[in-house]
Amino acid sequence: MIRVVTLDPFDDKQLAKFNRTLYTAFGVGSEHSGSAEIPAGMSEPLDAEKLLEEVKGIRAYKDDKVLLLTSRKLKDRDLPSGKAPTSGFAKYGKDRAILSIAPFKDLEKDFKPIARHALHQLGTLWELHHCLDPRCSMYPPWTPSFNQGDHIFCTFCREKSEQKIRLAKS
Amino acid sequence: MPEGSAALQLQVGDRVVYPNQGVCRVAAIDVKEVAGQSLTFVTMRREEDGAVVMVPQGKIISIGVRKVASPSDVEEIYAFLRSDSDKADLDWKQRARTNLDRMTQGGILGLAEVVKGLQVLSELRPLPTKERELYDNARHLLVSEVAAALGTAEANAEDSIDIVLFPPGKERPKRTAAEFARPGGDEDDMDLDGDLMGLEGGELDLPSDEEPPAEPEEESSEEGGEEEEGGEEGAEDAPKKRGRPPKAKPAEGAEPAAPKKRGRPPKPKPEVTAESAEPAAPKKRGRPPKARPPEGAAPAEPAAPKKRGRPPKAKPAEDE
Repeated sequence: MIRVVTLDPFDDKQLAKFNRTLYTAFGVGSEHSGSAEIPAGMSEPLDAEKLLEEVKGIRAYKDDKVLLLTSRKLKDRDLPSGKAPTSGFAKYGKDRAILSIAPFKDLEKDFKPIARHALHQLGTLWELHHCLDPRCSMYPPWTPSFNQGDHIFCTFCREKSEQKIRLAKS
Repeated sequence: MPEGSAALQLQVGDRVVYPNQGVCRVAAIDVKEVAGQSLTFVTMRREEDGAVVMVPQGKIISIGVRKVASPSDVEEIYAFLRSDSDKADLDWKQRARTNLDRMTQGGILGLAEVVKGLQVLSELRPLPTKERELYDNARHLLVSEVAAALGTAEANAEDSIDIVLFPPGKERPKRTAAEFARPGGDEDDMDLDGDLMGLEGGELDLPSDEEPPAEPEEESSEEGGEEEEGGEEGAEDAPKKRGRPPKAKPAEGAEPAAPKKRGRPPKPKPEVTAESAEPAAPKKRGRPPKARPPEGAAPAEPAAPKKRGRPPKAKPAEDE
């Protein structure tokens, strides 16, 4: 089950459409599971990694994947090889991810690129690595062409995610 | 010998890399009796999923188990990935063999070479299914080792690798087969220019064997990929040139040969002499006439007209 938890107010209709998209992409249920508060002392831009660890008040089962949705900016990560532009972050193979819609106008107007980023973060939760196919949602998200694509997976990534989901169910 | 295995002293709690399996932690080193022999076994637990493997201590080095790479090794990996030096082999058999060796040896540089080579190759054309799986495996092992070496999350380790492979703000370049051609390679050994091949000025617009018409997608089945690769191999081993063989050029100054006539060559005409001056009787068409009986012989009785139909059944004897 995918649980979308909002950290800021969003339109319910748009959230319903967003959940339908996630359901179509992964074939598992997706729902809006309420909202959560950003921990005190954290200011914009938010540290995505720290936020995922410290956010509280999220109820989910062990197999659930939680996607936090915020309209605030996330801080770019300093990595040994350079600075990584960060519009979302997910713990590889774990259960929590965060997605910021700050680089876009809103959920309605930029639905496609936001959904594509959401698929990317959720794919990371299901142990998908970055893909070589520019049309796939697992393509590195900082590339210029990423936001122009559709919210789909390539064959390899789709089959791998289905396999992981099947394993998780059994 | 695999890198980093020269003198491997393992202790419980050490993090090691098992080739093709990933980062493991030494869980125990104990002596067990097997078939009457007492052997020292190293028990390793894979960090990813907790799978346990026991290896006799004497075989640790030959298998290729080594300690996790250091941060300075990871810096070298970034430098290697950043460089534009590694071009994948276009011969799929050679490429598969090389990549398998690299994966089996289990060195971090070998993993980086597999990832880089296949990533560059994917800029020329989509990878076949098998190589896409190999790329994913190599990437997974590389990411998990870099994460272990730097003590960071796997997502950060992967992003740090991909920032080098896919620099932000830049699109991946489109490669051409010419970039993969090695100096002195099979193609160049032919030393046949367009003139010799009878392909002056691109007379025949043939598709290049090195660059097949765009594959539909990664959806191509494994067999399809192999077939395509097989074709490529054939193209490299003995480059087939389609079309006619080259025409021999006439020597300079010689008269241009008359245009060659098509069709069957004409029959040689018989020489005209006085005896044979009479025109031959025109050949009659149709069935040749039956041979007539010689004159003077008794005329034969006309044969009874042949009855048509089935011969009559033999009548049974009336006595019975």
